[in-house]
Amino acid sequence: MNLFNKPTLSIDEREIIDSITQNGAERKKGEERLFNRYAYFIKEAVYKYSLSEEDGFDLYSDTIISAIEKIANGSFQGRSSLKTWLYSIFHNKYVDLLRKKTTNKNSIHQTLSISDLLLEISDHSKSIVQKLVDKTDWELLRERLVQVGENCLQMLLLWADGYSDKDIAGLMEYKTPDVVKTTRLRCLEKLKQLYRKT
Amino acid sequence: MQNYLEYIDAYFQRTLEAEEIKRFEKKITEDKEFADEVAFYLSAKQSLKAEADREKKEWFREIMAQERPVIDINQHRSAKRIWLYRVSAAAAVLICVFFAWYFFFSNNSVSPQQMADKYINEKFKTLSVTMGEKDSLQEGLRLYNTEQYDSALKQFESMAQRDTGNYKIKNYLGIIYLRLGDYDKALQYFKQFENETLYSNPSKFQQAITLLKRNLPGDRQRAKELLEQVKDNDLEGKETALKLLDKW
Repeated sequence: MNLFNKPTLSIDEREIIDSITQNGAERKKGEERLFNRYAYFIKEAVYKYSLSEEDGFDLYSDTIISAIEKIANGSFQGRSSLKTWLYSIFHNKYVDLLRKKTTNKNSIHQTLSISDLLLEISDHSKSIVQKLVDKTDWELLRERLVQVGENCLQMLLLWADGYSDKDIAGLMEYKTPDVVKTTRLRCLEKLKQLYRKT
Repeated sequence: MQNYLEYIDAYFQRTLEAEEIKRFEKKITEDKEFADEVAFYLSAKQSLKAEADREKKEWFREIMAQERPVIDINQHRSAKRIWLYRVSAAAAVLICVFFAWYFFFSNNSVSPQQMADKYINEKFKTLSVTMGEKDSLQEGLRLYNTEQYDSALKQFESMAQRDTGNYKIKNYLGIIYLRLGDYDKALQYFKQFENETLYSNPSKFQQAITLLKRNLPGDRQRAKELLEQVKDNDLEGKETALKLLDKW
């Protein structure tokens, strides 16, 4: 499907999407444009949903982060305008926030959602992995991240943010995607050793 | 312990053949050590994603802070920045330098909104105080000039309650809200003295500047109308209004 033939998108919206699907500085430019373009949603969250400015900012930032991810991996189909699509994410996130606030009012520690990643595993294996994932010491894992070294951390962050080995090779000036893959797996192994050492 | 990371990575990168995928998933159910490795891979990726999102959020805060210098949504700034964002920041500085140079040598291509930005940064960076005087108004201006906008706001708001007809206080309140990025409130205050007969009334011009900054649908057109009125009625800000209209 050619997204850019869709009449629902304005020229400006197409430019933003095009930038986000690029690499490096061009992608950052697109991300910044996307964030700025609908930043007034924060004000709407304050007035319409009676959220604090902080919560409004969080809600909007989460929306943009999620949108960037979807645009970058090609999930955005362009069936509606960017604004309409973004607003639906924004609203859904607000409903989620509301649900979390009502159901977990006293919960201090909330587990990270891993369901998106687990979709790739068959149902039969899913519950086994989910149980093991639930045992993760998230705080410890986060502490260990900073111990893997700056280069490793940067590479792993880019990978987790959806950049391919090819993209990372370009950004971090590695010769080939294969070298990135080898280095990335070595970094993951290092993280695992650090995490399990304790 | 066997190193399964490459195998696991291949599964999640979807590079395994259909038969191999079946074997992979079967292995999870049969081999506890392997299932542990898969769980670690996913946990690590999720933790890294959360970290990447947090970095991105910090960057968004910085973007917001550039737009609205005083409202600091999150006081807890992270000390760590990943390389990519450092490079972005450096790139942003270079872009700023380029634009500064560009505007200096080629003022013709500046948009009305950019001119409004420039105007706000230049004209409202500090407000003139009367030396020697130490009344509430001067104190409010001192607070503003030292960028204590929240305190200045309180000072002027309390004065506005006591002195409801003072257009100067309303003007200062409008300017503070404009600096804070609360364009709706800035417009409210500027509009309050729009029809007052003054020797020099900046209301309409400042409403136009605020509308250009807010930039909601229809704001640009309304700003243009106001600037036309400033021009036609010889109101304060005419010189800049003419330049802005020239860029339209």
